[in-house]
Amino acid sequence: MIDAMTAEALKLRGHRATWLMVLIYPIVFLLFVLVQLVTDMTGTAGAAQAPTAALWIEQSHLVWGAPLSSGGRFLIAGFAAVVFAGEYGWNTWKLVIPARARWQLLAAKWIVTIILLLAAFAAADLLGLLGSVLRPLAGGPAIPAGVSLSDVAQAHAAAAAHAVLPILYTVVLAGLLAVLTSSILATAGLSVATILLEQLFPSIAFFAYGYAPALTPALAQLLPFYHVTNLVAWAGGSGATIPLGTNATIAAPQIVSLAALLGWTAACGALTIYRFGRQDLN
Amino acid sequence: MRISHLPVVFEQGTVSMEETVGALELRSVSKTYGRGPKARTAVSDVTLSVRHGEVYGFLGPNGAGKSTTIRMALGLIRPSGGEVRLLGRAVSDPGALRRVGSLVDGGAFYPFLSGRDNLRVLARTQGHAGAAIGSLLERVDLAGDADRKVKDYSLGMKQRLGVAAALLNDPELVILDEPANGLDVAGIQDMRALIRGLAADGKAVFLSSHLLHEVELLCDRVAIVAKGQLLQEAAVRDLLEGDALHIEAEPVEAAIAALAARWPVERVAGGLRVEARRADAPDVARHLHAAGVDIYRLASYEHSLETIFLTMTKDGHD
Repeated sequence: MIDAMTAEALKLRGHRATWLMVLIYPIVFLLFVLVQLVTDMTGTAGAAQAPTAALWIEQSHLVWGAPLSSGGRFLIAGFAAVVFAGEYGWNTWKLVIPARARWQLLAAKWIVTIILLLAAFAAADLLGLLGSVLRPLAGGPAIPAGVSLSDVAQAHAAAAAHAVLPILYTVVLAGLLAVLTSSILATAGLSVATILLEQLFPSIAFFAYGYAPALTPALAQLLPFYHVTNLVAWAGGSGATIPLGTNATIAAPQIVSLAALLGWTAACGALTIYRFGRQDLN
Repeated sequence: MRISHLPVVFEQGTVSMEETVGALELRSVSKTYGRGPKARTAVSDVTLSVRHGEVYGFLGPNGAGKSTTIRMALGLIRPSGGEVRLLGRAVSDPGALRRVGSLVDGGAFYPFLSGRDNLRVLARTQGHAGAAIGSLLERVDLAGDADRKVKDYSLGMKQRLGVAAALLNDPELVILDEPANGLDVAGIQDMRALIRGLAADGKAVFLSSHLLHEVELLCDRVAIVAKGQLLQEAAVRDLLEGDALHIEAEPVEAAIAALAARWPVERVAGGLRVEARRADAPDVARHLHAAGVDIYRLASYEHSLETIFLTMTKDGHD
């Protein structure tokens, strides 16, 4: 399996556009940090007010908010679309399928994609943190009193943990769409549509409740859309409540949404293996 | 029909236990796409067996089901019926395909990687990280271009890289779909020598080709398919064998007298045509010798594979 993962990494390393979709996070954060430091040095931002310890820590792990945002997940889905559907476009499944069991080829892609994304976010996170630490040296705001290494580590670990499942779900969903459509463009398009549907879900649910008051809450709890929104909201400290009518809302504890999304991720993964295992590659 | 010289000695091969189990066996394999009235049968009830140490040609016109059959043999397409066995194991057995090398679609490679990196990726995927990639690239005459991106390769270079990829895992069975596509004359000769070398090493080679002359020179046995059905599976020698001998002998009248009692004989330009099979040639020679006839030439009339192929697949073109 290690060999299959190494092969996957070799492929990705050779495809510059795909590789850029991983490197973009540390690159953007590096630029962000540099701009911030230059601004601090030149004093163009005016006299900066020292933030509180809590705010300073929160700002230092901003990058982990990307996988929770629509834009960040568009990029993740686009990356996964190339990784999974690219094999159809390049016609290269024929090269590698006789070499290894199909489920192992999929597993190698999942693992490498997720590891690379997590590594990229971690690298961007470290750059962001480094920037926050260096700012006082460039004339920026000082590190506030009360910021401890353990608090910083704890906050960054928690932010990373909140990002893992949305990354996992987005990658697995894109992988399924790739196997179903055999097209990078279709995979990316459908992934974007799914993410947009999550954003629109509160409005759709509100509208649907008027027509199907019993079905709408049940569907909301069953489908993944609300649970993604809810987990993103929990990452910020409290869950998402979707108003449906005068006395009706959709709300769920974090653990319920966590279990639901894990279930959907596992189901998408199982369906991908099943479909890919039976797929004819002409 | 053409005339070919008879070999003096017919080779008698020994049959090992390994040879009794086909390297590739297709048993009543079928493939149908779609269901109901829109169903289209690409391959119907094909049964064939490829032995170790032989080169087996798979011939058929376009749309005959060759590519579908090859893809079923490689586990890329699931048969609708029947069974594919590789080296005695079901094609669905992951271990079976690891001992098989293949070239399909003229070498499907990652265009953004170099030839060497494509082989590295494949070797890693196969679990053979230590594969001798350099020597393989030299063997297919690609060492000088190994670090160029595959998207810049010519068709012939991709084909040669495909052969290198097929040999990467030192396979027992090599499946090649149109291996000579895009190769120049020298490349075709090299390919022929390489394939014969594989068979000499005891590997089984299953190949499809449109170059019937190449197949005739290269293959021990062939199968001819049309419209998804197997029309004939035979040794090339048997297939080409004609039903007459051409003899140049003196005196002609004595030769006719010696042979006419047993075989129909007629005068033709440059000699006699005797209605006898290749296996009768020694007997014919003995009869002539006993009658005091000097033999200047004794050869069998042979069909060409092209003629046989076109005759058998004529309906496939209509």
